[in-house]
Amino acid sequence: MLNPQPPLEKPSQPWLGLSILLGPPGLWLFLLLVLPTLIIVELSLVPNIHPGEVVNPSGLDNYFRVFDAINLRVLGRSLLFASGSTLLCLLLGFPVAYWIAQMSPPRWRNLLLLGFILPLWTSSLLRTYAWITILRPTGLLNTILTSLGLPALELLNRTPAVFIGMAYSYLPYMVLILYASLEKLDRELLEASADLGANPLETFWKVTIPQTFPGIAAASLLVFISGLGDFVDPELLGGASSMTISRLIYNQFLGASRNWGFGSALSTVLIVAVSVAIALLIKYGDRESI
Amino acid sequence: MSLNRRRFLQSSTLLLTGTTLSSCGWTLASVKPTPTRQGSADELYIYTWAGYTDDDLLQRFQEETGIRAVADVFDSNEAMLARLQASGGGDYSIIYPSDYMVQKMVELDLLLELDHGQIVGLDRLFPRFQNPVYDPHNRYSIPLSWGTTGLIYNRTQLSEPPQDWDYLWEHQGDLRKRITLLNDVREVIGATLRSLGYSYNSTDPEALEAAYEKLRALKPAIASFTSDAWRNQILTGDLMVAMCYAPDANEVMQENPDLQYVLPLSGSSLWGDALVIPRSAPNVAGAYAWMNFMLQPDIAAEICDRLSFATPNEQAFKQLPRRIRENVCLFPPEPAIGNCEGLIPIDETTSALYDRYWTQLTSG
Repeated sequence: MLNPQPPLEKPSQPWLGLSILLGPPGLWLFLLLVLPTLIIVELSLVPNIHPGEVVNPSGLDNYFRVFDAINLRVLGRSLLFASGSTLLCLLLGFPVAYWIAQMSPPRWRNLLLLGFILPLWTSSLLRTYAWITILRPTGLLNTILTSLGLPALELLNRTPAVFIGMAYSYLPYMVLILYASLEKLDRELLEASADLGANPLETFWKVTIPQTFPGIAAASLLVFISGLGDFVDPELLGGASSMTISRLIYNQFLGASRNWGFGSALSTVLIVAVSVAIALLIKYGDRESI
Repeated sequence: MSLNRRRFLQSSTLLLTGTTLSSCGWTLASVKPTPTRQGSADELYIYTWAGYTDDDLLQRFQEETGIRAVADVFDSNEAMLARLQASGGGDYSIIYPSDYMVQKMVELDLLLELDHGQIVGLDRLFPRFQNPVYDPHNRYSIPLSWGTTGLIYNRTQLSEPPQDWDYLWEHQGDLRKRITLLNDVREVIGATLRSLGYSYNSTDPEALEAAYEKLRALKPAIASFTSDAWRNQILTGDLMVAMCYAPDANEVMQENPDLQYVLPLSGSSLWGDALVIPRSAPNVAGAYAWMNFMLQPDIAAEICDRLSFATPNEQAFKQLPRRIRENVCLFPPEPAIGNCEGLIPIDETTSALYDRYWTQLTSG
């Protein structure tokens, strides 16, 4: 009898291995993510709930309140901060990632990337405080500007400071993801494009961008989602008119007003918005580079 | 699943509080805090604001009573209450809520009624602290500190010193983005109400709207609403005036003598922090020992000086050196104090109105 290969021994109870592997993280996810999210969704259906009161879902009043003009304006500002900083990160990050991936000497690459990760080793709060020191009216930036004979800039406690702080916070993520995508860029296609008469700009738009689009989408969405939930940068850098949705949610739970139901409705809206963004990310993004 | 969770919460709530619930809901965070540790008579867990205790104080308490005290800190009354209601505060036998929060906690039935027979030295307090509005006759709480809200300014940057809230409006052209107000809706709207001649605690919608409109007019001058970021910015000269709590001003003024605190003439809020014992306290005897310890005039005077907050203890006040008794941050002059009011909790409708104006103010 020919029996070149002994039959592979099948695990007698496949579910055992699976449950050992997936059980603990599954339980963790369920208890700390799924269950709290369900509670938030349930709370969002109770108008004017405070701690100590009976949770009795009774309607969509909290959601109607979310779509109040004033709350929409807050939501709009969050979207503006998130999309503005995403755009800034993309404009600043793409050339750098391109240079590291395609033009820098290969033996430097890891070091250069490490340089981008390095700031992440300090607390984000600390880095935001550093920006206060740089941007304040008598701060580092204005000291340099005035010593060069240039007019001083009023940036702190205004919207530009939030964009600067957020773009700085998320730039490393942008660069790392774009790098992973640009590294795989097929140079022969670029050369073919040049051979066939395209100028560098055409090559960039028609060859480079389409090839790296999944990476750009992934990086942008990741930055956008982080920006949407950013609490620290608008709070510390944005000044008197910088209410964002995450600060509004905080106020509903721990601030003076304390309306957990409304806070939950705001959170649910944010969760849904972010989930949609993540769904888009999975569909169009470059999952390998994340 | 959801049903099981409800059942579980319902039955545990029933078990712990003995309250009956309507058939289809569960109760949000009402599980009363229960001691997570077996109460030990020689350990006392304290839940307080940063800056109210230090190692020397805890050490001395241990020497006098043999009880090892451990202090945890919270940074807002609301955060403290939320933690307590989410049953995360079961270790604590002493908590330091502010005045209005004492009232709220009494309403929520979270506090132990004090047995005055076990407390020595209540009569050492100034008379007005022996019968505070938020807790008549100190049934649930013992005043520990008090203070005011006011303005801190840089003498060298302002041509004339501010004396009242209206200064901000009158000089807002020179103060563009050089003012910060507290990140506290009640204080900010309260001060504006006071400048308009209303009570700090007004619930009249017309008064509130007038205050909101007045604040909106000040917006171009306001750099931000912050309760602590003003400290560095006023020291570096980036701010000219900041609304602040007096003890914070006291601290900052020690770093720069050009800075000056003023209690606005038309009055501000007079606030205080108090000692309470939660119903869930694992070490009630230790809690009383802490209260008696803090009521001792020499201890009260010592921490008033070292940790810099105003003491409500008259006997302690008399022991203080003159430089502290005459410190305008800690003990501001009488006429302005007479115009001050304590914050009292507001009803839900008014609270929603405050919240709405605050969101408009900070997003517009």
